[in-house]
Parts: sequence; C-alpha cells; structure tokens
Amino acid sequence: MITLTNLSKIFRTELIETHALRNVNLQVNEGEFVALTGPSGSGKSTLLNILGTLEGFDEGDYLLDGKSVNGLPDSELSKLRNQKIGFIFQSFNLIKDFSIYDNIELPLRYRGLKAKERKDRIESALELVGLQARRNYLPSQLSGGQQQRVAIARAIAGQPRILLADEPTGNLDSLMARQVMELLEQINKQGCTILMVTHDPDQARRASRNIQIVDGQLHDSTLYEPLASQSA
Amino acid sequence: MEQFIYYLKVSLKSIKRAPLPYALTILILSVGLGVFFANATFYYRLNSDPLPDKSDKLFFPMTLITPYECNNCLPPRVLSYSNVQKLSNSGIPSAQAAMYSSAGYARLTLENLPTPVSLRVTQRDFFEMFEVPILHGTVWSDGSAENQVLVTKATALSLFGRTDVVGESILLDDITFSVIGVLNDWQMLPRLYDANGRNHLSEGADIYLPLETGYDLNYLSNTNSVSYDDTDYRQLATEGRAGALHQLQFWVQLDTPADQQRYQQFMLRLAEDEKSAGRHPAPINNQLVPITEIVDYFGDASGDIEAFALVTLLFLVVCLLNAIHLALNRYLSNQYEFSLRRALGASRSQLQLQMLADVLLMTIFSLAGALLIAYAGVVLMNALLPQNSLFSSWDIALIIALVMAALICSYIVTLYPSLRASFGSLNQQLKE
Amino acid sequence: MSLSLLLKVILHRKIVTTLLLVQLAITLALLLNSILLANQTHQQLNQPTGLELENTLLVQLKPTTPQLRQHPALEDLMQRQIDALQNIPNVVAASYSNQALLTQGGSNGNLYDVEREDTSNIESVPIYTTSPEFFDVLNVEVLQGELPSYSDAPDENGHVGIVLTESLAKALFPEQTSFVGLQLNRGPVRAVVSDFYGQRKRSPGNETLNSIQVIPPESVDWGYTLILRTTQGQANSVREQLTGTLQQVEPNIEVYYIRTLAEQQRELYSNEYGLASLLAILTALMLLVTMISSYSSTHFHVLKRNQEIGVKRALGASKGLIFLELLSEGWICTLAGAILGVGCALILNQSLSQVISLPSLNWWLPLVTSAILLLSVTLATWYPAAIAIRVSPATATKAL
Ligand SMILES: Nc1ncnc2c1ncn2[C@@H]1O[C@H](COP(=O)(O)OP(=O)(O)O)[C@@H](O)[C@H]1O
Ligand SMILES: [Mg+2]
Repeated sequence: MITLTNLSKIFRTELIETHALRNVNLQVNEGEFVALTGPSGSGKSTLLNILGTLEGFDEGDYLLDGKSVNGLPDSELSKLRNQKIGFIFQSFNLIKDFSIYDNIELPLRYRGLKAKERKDRIESALELVGLQARRNYLPSQLSGGQQQRVAIARAIAGQPRILLADEPTGNLDSLMARQVMELLEQINKQGCTILMVTHDPDQARRASRNIQIVDGQLHDSTLYEPLASQSA
Repeated sequence: MEQFIYYLKVSLKSIKRAPLPYALTILILSVGLGVFFANATFYYRLNSDPLPDKSDKLFFPMTLITPYECNNCLPPRVLSYSNVQKLSNSGIPSAQAAMYSSAGYARLTLENLPTPVSLRVTQRDFFEMFEVPILHGTVWSDGSAENQVLVTKATALSLFGRTDVVGESILLDDITFSVIGVLNDWQMLPRLYDANGRNHLSEGADIYLPLETGYDLNYLSNTNSVSYDDTDYRQLATEGRAGALHQLQFWVQLDTPADQQRYQQFMLRLAEDEKSAGRHPAPINNQLVPITEIVDYFGDASGDIEAFALVTLLFLVVCLLNAIHLALNRYLSNQYEFSLRRALGASRSQLQLQMLADVLLMTIFSLAGALLIAYAGVVLMNALLPQNSLFSSWDIALIIALVMAALICSYIVTLYPSLRASFGSLNQQLKE
Repeated sequence: MSLSLLLKVILHRKIVTTLLLVQLAITLALLLNSILLANQTHQQLNQPTGLELENTLLVQLKPTTPQLRQHPALEDLMQRQIDALQNIPNVVAASYSNQALLTQGGSNGNLYDVEREDTSNIESVPIYTTSPEFFDVLNVEVLQGELPSYSDAPDENGHVGIVLTESLAKALFPEQTSFVGLQLNRGPVRAVVSDFYGQRKRSPGNETLNSIQVIPPESVDWGYTLILRTTQGQANSVREQLTGTLQQVEPNIEVYYIRTLAEQQRELYSNEYGLASLLAILTALMLLVTMISSYSSTHFHVLKRNQEIGVKRALGASKGLIFLELLSEGWICTLAGAILGVGCALILNQSLSQVISLPSLNWWLPLVTSAILLLSVTLATWYPAAIAIRVSPATATKAL
C-alpha cells in the first residue's frame, strides 16, 4: 500500500544542504509492522513525515494505495491524512487546552462524522487504551504513559489504515513502554499497518520487518520485495 | 543605585529582543493617555475656579419682578435697571455690581480710523469683586455718570503705544472720554460673571465704562436684551431705566452664610412688596445663584467637553486593557527567562525591583508619546471646537497629573503580567 | 472545527478573553454613538432650508461712526451700498436686512392673532426688517397677497403690513386658509411666502417660522446684513469684489464677515460638526487599537500554538480550516463583544444625551457597526493567521 521509488529529500538552509533521504525505495504492504531504526539524524523522522504527507520531497515518487501524492493540493493531503493515517509522536503532542475526550474527538470532527458516531468511536478507542475514566482530564493531569495512550487512542479513533509512530516510547520508562508496545501490536493485529521508529532492539525485534536507515539510505534487513509482487 | 541601573539595562535588553510588541504597548498607552489628557486639559480649565478665595461668596440674584404672568417659570436671566436699583438697596452685600457687555468704536482723534472695541458697562465694585488688577489710575467713583473709562493694557498699547495713559482722552463712538485707569494683564477664565450663552468662554472687554454713562449714551447690550413691555430700547436713558427692558447681569458679594440668608429674606420681602403693589404678577420665584453654579444654572455647560470626558475615559480604559493584554503576551514570551531567573535564585524583592525598572521605562516612553499626542489633540480640538480655545493651555498641576497618570497606567500595565510571569505556577497556569 | 470546541478554547483563556470582550464592547459602543452623531450632523447640514445656499451671499457689517448708524445717513448709506452691489456683474438682486439667515438667535419678538392672544401667541419669532428686494434675493415664492414696498402707508396704529412664512401663518391661524388681512399684534398680514430657514431653534421644525417687515432703516445697534443672490456658480467671483465695492461706497464700516449661505449653515452647525469629527477620529483610533490588539493577540497566539497547529495539521486539518479556525476565534469574540457592546452603547447613548443632543439608537446601526468591527478584526487577524498556517507540521510536532 505504500510505495516509494527513488525518493530523495534535501533540506536547504542558507548555508548547507542536508540530504536527509537519498534514493529511497520502499514497499510496505497492508498489515505489516515495520520498525525503523538508525542513528540519530539519519532521516527516520523525515521518512515518517514524508509518509505522513506532513512534508514534501524533492525527487522520486510516493504512491499511497497506488495513487501518487505528489502535487496533491493541501486540502487533498489533509483529507488523506485525516482518513488514512494516524500519528503518534515521541512528545505525545496532545493539545493541552483540550480534555482527553476533546483531543481524541478532533480528527473525527475534521472528518465531519456525526456526533453519535464520534462518541462511539471515542468510547471504543478509550476502552482500548483503558482510559475511560479519565475522559475529562486535561493532558497535564496524566502521566507520560497515559498521555501516549491518549495519543494512540486519538491516532486510531479514526480507524486509519496506517499508523506512523516516531519513537512512541522515547519519553517513557520501560514499564510504560511495554504497555504502549503491547497496544501497538494489538492494533496491528486488527489489520492496521504500522511504521514505527525505535531505538530499542527488543521492540524492533517484535516487529514483522526491520528497516535500518543510515545517512538517508535504507537497508532493509528483510527480503526486498519487488514492485511486481505488490499486493493490494 | 548601581543595582537599579543594572535592572534598567536588563529591561532595555528585553525590550530590544522583541521591540514590536513593546512599541505597540507604548503606542497604545500613549494614544490612550494623550487623548485623555487633551480632553482633560479643556475639562480641567473649563471647570476651574477663577476666584478660589471668594467664589463661594458671589451670587447672582434674580427675581420675577416683570410685567408678565406665567406659572412655573424661572426669572429672566437678565435684570432691568429698575430691578437692579431695588435690589441694590438692601445694604447687605459687601460689594455689588450690575453690568452688561456692548461694543463701540474707539479712536484718539476724528482723523484716525475707528477701531472696534468691546465694552463692559458696569459699576465701581466690579473691579474689587472680581479682583481686577489696576496698573495705573483708579476706578471711577460710585454711581458715576461721567465720561470716564478704564482700558486694558493691550488697548492702551494699541491706541497710545504706551500703558500709562491716565488723564488722556479717547473718542468712543466720537464722544470724548477720559481714561482714569489702566488694567494690568487680567484674564479671568472662565469669565463666570458673563455667563450667558457661551460668553464665559470668550475674552474680556477692552474698555470699561460706568453703568450710568452706558445708559445715558444708549449703549445697548450686545448679548441679551429683552423688553417685557413696550419700552423702546432706543430710549435707554429714559424709558430703559424705568421700563421692563432687561439686559443687566447683577452680582452681589455675600460674605457669610448669615448674609446670604438675610439677602434671601430681603429678596423675598421685596418680591412680596412688589406683588402687593401689582408689579409682580407671576408667582414668586427668587433665585440666588452662586457664581460657581451659574453656568450650569443657565444650562450653558460645555456639553461637548463633558461628553468627551466620558468618551476619552472609556478610551483610556480600553487602551489600558489593551496594553495589559499586550504586555501579558510579551511577558509570557519571556516567561522562560523569568523562570530561569527564579531558578537561579532571584528573590521576590529583586524581581520586584526589576519590575520597577520596567515601570519606570514604560512611564518615560509612554509619557513622551502621550505628551506628543496630547499636544496634537489640543491643536485638533482647537481647530474643531474653536470656542474653547482659551482653555487649552497646560500648567504645572496638569503636567504633574499627566505624569502621575502615566506612572499609574504603566504600573498597572506592568504589574499584572509580571506578577503572572514571575510568581505564577508556570506552565500549568499559563494557558496562553 | 466545531463551535463548541472553539468556545471552550476561548473560555479557557479567561482573562485575555475578558479583556478583549470589554474592549470590543466599549469600541462598539463608541463606534455606534459616533456614527449616530455624525449621521445627525449630516442630516442637520442637509435639511432643506428653502434657500439657495450656494448662490446667496451674506455680508455682516456695521458703520463705525455714530452718524452713519442713524437716520438719515444710515438709509442713504444702505441705499448706496445696495445700488453698488447691484451693479456688480452676476448679482441678481441685493437687499439689506436687520439680521442674517441661518443664525443662532437674533432680533425676535412675539406674534399673536389679536383676536386670540392667549392661544395664538408665539414667542421669539424672528422679525426681519428689510428692503423690498429681500424676497427677490431669497427667491421665495409668494403664496398669498402682494409683497410690500417702502411706499406702503402705515395703518392707524402706525403698523405696516407683515409678511409671514407659510409655516408661521399656519401656526398663528390654524383655522384659516386665507391669511391676507388678518390682524397680528404687530400689524396686518400682507403676504405669505414659502418657508425658509431663519434661526436655529431649540425645538426642531421651528426654524422656518419667520416674519418680515419692509421698513426703511431707522438706526442700527448691532450691525446689519446685506444679502445678495448671484447667478449660478458666481458667488465666489462676486465675493472677491464685495469688500472693495463696499469700502468704495463708505470706508467707515467694519465688515464682520462675508459668507455664502452654505458657509453660514456650516458655521451654524460647526459645533456639532467639530464634535462629530472628533468622535470620528476617536473612533478611528479605537478601531486602530482594536486592530492592534487583535493582531498582536493572534500573532502571539500563533507563536504559542505552533505545536498545536502542527498537531492539528497532522490530524488532518487543512490550511484553510486552520485559517478559518483562527479567524473564527476573532469572530466569536467580536460577536460576543458586539452583543455586550450594544448594551454599553445604550448606556453611553443615555449618558451622552444628557450633555449633548444625540438621537437614540435605532435597530440597524448595531448591525452596521458590528459589521465594521468584524471587518477590522478580520483584517487585523488575517496576516498573523496567514503566517500561522505556513507552519510546517513536521517541524511543529518534533520532539523538543
Ligand atoms: N527542517 C529541517 N531543516 C533542515 N534540516 C533538517 C530539518 N529536519 C531534519 N533536518 C536534517 O535532516 C537530517 C535527518 O533528520 P531526522 O529525520 O530528524 O533524523 P532522525 O529522526 O533520524 O534523528 C538531519 O541531519 C537533520 O539535521
Ligand atoms: Mg527523529
């Protein structure tokens, strides 16, 4: 469902050009759990951001469900993000003026769902992450692990097909990190494709596929599947 | 002191870091203060007491001794000659003077071109009652009907080219008058003795002549003269003295509350006597209006300035709220710095001193801005409401008031945000 | 985003929102009342006067020597002045009058129907004493009777005929339709002419109650007025010659002013005009302040909420939606402020009308002013909001 061909990303500032990604080719199929590893500054976040259409790219192409995202207008990209992609960030990125409930509701509102449907989905998302009782809390009233679980609930409430998680456990202690990992695995089992950046080899091992990025280049430790065998 | 200078430097540095929000804060504060102050100038001047020592002792008596019948009506705002005479017989006031304003043309000889002059036709006590400074010469004697005048210094200078002109003669509407006195610079503002319409806002007369002479020579009031019977106003010297031709303002000085009481009694008795003599057909309605209330009594208060006092005050409030808002934003962007300082162990008093430095700087900037805007505002108001232009000057008291206002506003603007930034439980409470 | 969430966010910032609301409310109150005042002044300046404002000139003057102010020199002087004025090219007609038009106060008297003194008495009616050309100068229409001339003989009481404006005739004789010959305390009605604006009165509508008598001048005490009508558009060229012409006729005069009636009218309402202008300036300043505050509050907001905006973008909000969201925050505050402001405006209106004359609020003005306020706020929010949506969601969501 995700196909990157010869994709490159260059950050240009006044003084330097950074080749964050060089000629990346990647194929991710529905239902995979991909762990991205690599040293700091190697381009993991950049890759995730491009996959999430938060960032554009300079060369190559990105096909999502067989359709190129290149040149789509902002409104189309936003719709795409809203409907197909969920994000989990290292720093949770909850909106601090909003209650837990409101945070989870936000993407559903953007999608224009009816109140009843929103409520149902929020309820089940909250149930999944086990935070029903805290729905009216503000993010600052929760622990880090709880906040990340809220972020996960927010990301999956819209039932996205892809979940992009950038070091979701980077700010958490190991116990909480394990809970989050279990949650992600559970979500993956329900059919959601997950790409997760992690530094933890244990976590990487639990993924169905490992990809290492070094200096903007991909080293796929699993077998490279040619484009021809792409599954729908 | 050196410590304080250090704080000033810190303040300046933080201004430099984000100059736009600071400039906007100052701009808004200056505009609010400047506009307020421009109007306050007029308000303060227009409501100032020109005779603080005796303003509580001067009264304008009015009666309804007029040949017309009416119910619930106030006495006329000007008195007839005969009414003034009746009122003058009380013996109670320590000074009293009837007066009116007129106009004429003055020249030294018939060969010169006449120049227009404004006249005040009045009685001897006028000068003492309103503390008129006499530069040369004296006032005419009581009840004088001679062709004598007092002139202002400016008139003396323009007619003669010098001030000591006592004993000289001038032609007033081609009748010879001798100058018996010259007034020193004198500007009573507002000229409450002439309250009628908006005359109290205008400048004083050029030449002063005795009431009797004015009547003899048929000078008519150019402000307000009303005839309640068929008196021919052209026959001022004869019919005008006897008939119901009203054109006189009349002021009495009543030094004690007891005198004021007695004078009221006297007026009441007079009205009753007149009523029984059939010369007072209307119900009795005497008024003894204090000089400080005369403008309001006649309904001639400068409503525009009062309206603006309200409006500019509101504007100041808005600007203040706005400036607080802006300053709050500014402080919160510097919040990191504050918490850092607190983490580094700055004490409350040190932070307060820092705040004081902020206040001081803001006062200086906003004061400068306010003065500029106030000046422009006064110029603008003089152009748009020229009748108040005599009331547009600043004195020390006003300037000090402005400084205080700027200080207080700066304090308010600085206090709340910096308290929030420095003493609030930071991230949690700062929802902005 | 939904209204309820926006409201939640706005309410969350209690102090800032309160500050903003109070400020918006006061601004609206001021805006409303200054428009009201400006509108009133505009109406006063545009109310029909029955006069040819642009083509009629007033010269207010006074002889500076006593002889010239008396019979017979005065009559002779005026006649010479009028003759000289009539000889100026483009002058249609010239007349003298004891007082000007479009003034505050003047030479007045009471008038009543001698048969019903109590019920018909009208106080303070302007009494114009003029030369016969006065009517021609004003270009009024003669509705009834014949215009008087100097040669009219006084009646047995020494009264000459009086010309009334139509509204005065109707006010004095409400029962009658034909007025000529009816007796007033100052003489018989000689003619009725169309209405013209004489003096400004406390109660509006009374400005056209005027009476005119054609009498040779006896004496002047407060000066007099020469009135002339020029051909279309020639008032200024005629005005340039007036001082010289009058000086030539008689140098011993003081000319107080020369004005067209249009200028006279502006002068008459100069106080209202000044007040309205000042309020307008103040309102403009106020709008400026509001705009600064909307600008800086959005600007600051956006700085603070970079991350929040980035997250929202990541969750699928388009740039347009974020932009709209930022603007609607301003709109909601403005609308709430406007509603409060209408209340404030009512209070302000009441307190202002105690010191100045001010019409009361109507229903459409709050809508207009709210729209103005909304527009200013939108304008001021536009730029920072446009900056805000340029935030890269990738950067904004980065871990610190
Ligand atoms: N917005 C940006 N502007 C310039 N350079 C950037 C930007 N974002 C990332 N980079 C650079 O791109 C490279 C890859 O960054 P990133 O993808 O964040 O690395 P990682 O997530 O693997 O640590 C780094 O060298 C980083 O400095
Ligand atoms: Mg990274």
